Amino acid sequence: MTELITSLAVLFVTAGVFLLVANHFSLSPVPFYILAGLVSGTFLDGAELIELAQWGIAFLVFVFGYRVNFGALATVVRDGEVAATTQLVVVGPLSFAIGSIYGFDPINALYFAVAATLSSTVVGSGLLEREIRDNLVHGRLASSVHLFDDLLAVVVVLVLSAEAVTATAITSKLGYGVLFLAAALFIYRHGYPLLVRLTGGSDELTMMGSISILIGFLGAAELAGISIVVGAFAAGIAIRSDDTSSLGVINGIESLRDFFVAIFFVTLGALVTVPTVETLVVALTLVVLVVLVNPLVLALAFVYEGYDPRTAFLASTSLNQVSELSLVVVIQAVLLETAGIADVVFEAVILAAALTMVLTSFTREYEDVIFERFVEGIAGDRGWKRIDDRSEVDPTLSDHVVVVGYGRQGRWLVDACERLGAECVVIENDPVLWEDVRRECPNYVLGDAMTDRSWENARVTEARLVVSTVDHRGVSESSIEAATATGTDVIVRAGSSRKAVELLEAGATYVSVPNVLAGDGLIGLLEGVLDGKTSVEELRAEHRDELDVLERYGFGSRIPRDELY
Amino acid sequence: MSDIALAADLAIIVVTATAVGIVARKTGQPTIIAYILTGLILGPVLFDVVVYDGLVEEFAELGLGFLLFLLGMKMRFEDIREILRPITNIAIWQTVLQTALALAVAWALGFDPTEIVIIALATVFGATPIIVKILTDKDEITSMPGKIDVGVLIVQDIYLVVVLALLGADSLENPTEIATTLAVIFVMMSFIAIFSLASSRYLLPRLFREVADNKDVFLVVAIAWAFLFIAIAETFDLSVEVGAFLAGISVAQLPYSTELEDRITPITDFFILVFFATIGLQLEASELLFYWREAVVASAILMIGNFWIMFYLIDREGFSVETSFLGSINMIQVSEFSLVVGALAVGQNFIGTEVLGYLSLMALLTMSLSTYVIAYNHEIYDRVAPWFQRFESPEKGDVELPTYTDHAVAIGYDEITERALPMLEDRYGEVVVVDRKTDHVEALEAEGRYSYVYGDVRHGEIRKAANLSAASFVLSSTVQTDINRVVLSELDADATAFVEAERIDEARELYDRGAAYVVMSTYLTAERLSQYLEWYLEDEAAFRTAVERDVERIRESSGNGEPLDRPGVEPATDGGGDDD
Repeated sequence: MTELITSLAVLFVTAGVFLLVANHFSLSPVPFYILAGLVSGTFLDGAELIELAQWGIAFLVFVFGYRVNFGALATVVRDGEVAATTQLVVVGPLSFAIGSIYGFDPINALYFAVAATLSSTVVGSGLLEREIRDNLVHGRLASSVHLFDDLLAVVVVLVLSAEAVTATAITSKLGYGVLFLAAALFIYRHGYPLLVRLTGGSDELTMMGSISILIGFLGAAELAGISIVVGAFAAGIAIRSDDTSSLGVINGIESLRDFFVAIFFVTLGALVTVPTVETLVVALTLVVLVVLVNPLVLALAFVYEGYDPRTAFLASTSLNQVSELSLVVVIQAVLLETAGIADVVFEAVILAAALTMVLTSFTREYEDVIFERFVEGIAGDRGWKRIDDRSEVDPTLSDHVVVVGYGRQGRWLVDACERLGAECVVIENDPVLWEDVRRECPNYVLGDAMTDRSWENARVTEARLVVSTVDHRGVSESSIEAATATGTDVIVRAGSSRKAVELLEAGATYVSVPNVLAGDGLIGLLEGVLDGKTSVEELRAEHRDELDVLERYGFGSRIPRDELY
Repeated sequence: MSDIALAADLAIIVVTATAVGIVARKTGQPTIIAYILTGLILGPVLFDVVVYDGLVEEFAELGLGFLLFLLGMKMRFEDIREILRPITNIAIWQTVLQTALALAVAWALGFDPTEIVIIALATVFGATPIIVKILTDKDEITSMPGKIDVGVLIVQDIYLVVVLALLGADSLENPTEIATTLAVIFVMMSFIAIFSLASSRYLLPRLFREVADNKDVFLVVAIAWAFLFIAIAETFDLSVEVGAFLAGISVAQLPYSTELEDRITPITDFFILVFFATIGLQLEASELLFYWREAVVASAILMIGNFWIMFYLIDREGFSVETSFLGSINMIQVSEFSLVVGALAVGQNFIGTEVLGYLSLMALLTMSLSTYVIAYNHEIYDRVAPWFQRFESPEKGDVELPTYTDHAVAIGYDEITERALPMLEDRYGEVVVVDRKTDHVEALEAEGRYSYVYGDVRHGEIRKAANLSAASFVLSSTVQTDINRVVLSELDADATAFVEAERIDEARELYDRGAAYVVMSTYLTAERLSQYLEWYLEDEAAFRTAVERDVERIRESSGNGEPLDRPGVEPATDGGGDDD
């Protein structure tokens, strides 16, 4: 048995044990990999592991490259422009200044600032998965900023690989970056489809071909003297494909990524020695910047853009961890000995990353409580005024229907109300939909349905019925509370029967569970097909026509694809 | 960046292997041939640009570990239980007879005694990757000959593990020493094997039940498990391979292993490529061709000889002539393990590299020839069938193996599919549910009415386990378009597919790809909900009745066991709060 295999055995067995702990408490794996590294560091053999760790970096960025949904960049710009720029302009220089006060040279202050400013993808979007899936506004906002930060990180890595901080050196690096991107696009258009054709649908060969493309880009990056991160990112773009054959290839690459990335994070932990007081101070400063300052700045920016305080708060607390790409930035600096990163900065960034990644899981657990206890009071009065300003409700309105959420279901309900001649008020908190609401509804409240003021403005005391189309526990509870106080009937939404029962017990008149309601319709159709009463062709043609009609009348999705990764 | 240059050797191997692999693919050769050729091209035989040491050597060893882990993972006792007895008979006798034949041939060709022993031990017939790969591509892996071949290969693997352990021992000077080494190996192997089987019974089900829902954790914990066994094997002075293989077996018996297999396969593919290339790297041209005449003669004799050995053995167990013929003709290539054994023997200085060259050349010859033979196995049988009829007798015949066919497949077990299952069962007889959530699968198991496959449909192995391509009906409750695309492309043209989508443009695309109906739960829900609103406003009694009926059903389905809140297909993007 060779030394490397012994090292790997130690590495994986330790990582496995720590992962079991992380998994048991539903925490992110990344900080636990780093912890595993801290613990087993003395038994690990450095040089060869670092080489494998580099494969980890390459695969991490490679997968990021092909997962980025460039079609959603418009969404990112729309949602994240102000916030991300503010973050960059405020937090960046601020932490750079703090770094300088600690006595770092400009380059180390810059590493410090990068770590303080950027937030993480794997950790963040893993935790956000449910919010993104449920299309909640703050999930979408946070993932927009994540994407912005990640793309920025690639640019930072590119710029930092310049040997000297001169305009020409940096411009030439950026020039290489553009060249790489162009090469990637060319391969995406012509090279990769050719590869798929040549390999004749063999997953194994297409995967090896994709890795060869990765290796090609890594080699080119080395030749051009820029970071392998940029090469790996470009390679990721080059192998994007919608072809059905790509599924197996991507599964394969992701398996390899998981293997190498585990090695990367554990090795990272192993590189940290017993921290000195200085390291701890720097690390703690970073933690404060990342956990408190950065979210605060972002939250203010979101509020400025028009989001309600709760959404702003929830979105920004999802952004309170050090980015794993910052880890890539610092390890690149270590490997590139000329870059001159100080041990203190390097170790502090890793420690702060591990700490913030664990912390973020806890803050997210208690974020609603934190918001109600501490933040809501501060935001209170100003928030009310904003809601008042944005509301348009007939002051004599009574016996109306309050519809919460102006998504597809909400629109359908508003349409039904109009058809039946019933008055209705729409409550919507997503600024992206406000234009539509203003245009299409006579009465509306543009604010957070979890704030009492919104309900007052919607004249809930006079209402006949409240219907919430939002699958969010807090919104459902607020709706029930607002309605039952005056004995109004209330329909809310839940994702499962079990949650529905809880809401029924809390006083809901009815709970719509999409799977149950949609199931009814589906079962009918299925019965028709299975009994041979309806032919498949008829069914298909009918539904396609129906979809055309829906789209024509504005019932299609109004927000482009939200999945950014 | 300066450091990655050290990995340049690996980079060259991967890129060259891909290029050669594409050429091989075009000519219908298996990738293994391409990888060995890559080693020959890059090594001293041709260009001499890559050296066998450092990371390359380590990757090769890792590859071997992963290959054995994967192989162990395929050893599902359940799969071959019905034909276990005949298969064991065939495998044991095949190993004995074919070793004897290889011994005789090597002796006749004039090798010296140690070499003869090693050659006889190393000449194992039946290359798992080749047979499994081609038969899977031809969709014959679950046919009777396929099952027999796989069964024999599995039993053979145990034999190989012993041989590998034996060769790992420090010396093989005299018979007593061999005997003691063997005894020690058996004791230690049984010890680890008992630990492996005991843990697969008592520890692993709980351990993996805990992590199975989280895909990435699941994979890394499984790899950690393999490395744990590798470390244990090391303490007992056994090889990496033995540890990895036994770790694989303990995982194989779990319901979660199919998906894991599909996740470990690419890692194995990546590292094993390096391994096969290193075989070529270690050879000089002079060594590869040193015994070329012997290799050609031996290949010819052994291919024919082994065919007849297998044919006789399968035939003796009373299978039909066609099954015996196909089962035997698939197995006429030297196993990739003969190279593993050979390489190990070179490492231990039992044989010279010329003998490894002889083994490699034999592997190259038989493997390349056999790919064509397997690819055209039925055509060959049709040609020679009249002659083989003489072995036919009335009492011979194949046992029927159960497989799903013309069945219904439900992807994801949620509140929608749950209600459709009885209807599908009525119409199609058999329903297979595919689900990625451990608690859903447990709910299904507790109910005991429907068959199920645990895993993500994203993975080819999972789709195969549910025999998706032979299904008559599919109900997919995942809204992930990439998965639905693959499902639709794999289905038979006559099959009916109900799939789910989130958005109208996606629904259109799925219709274009052949979906019978695209479920769009947002619209179905919106439609029902506005109906309820209408009743509420115009006919309150109707509203109350409808609501009462629904509430009853909601209470009912929330009551039975685990909540089925999300379809068990990860990462589900279903449901949808603000619904956009």
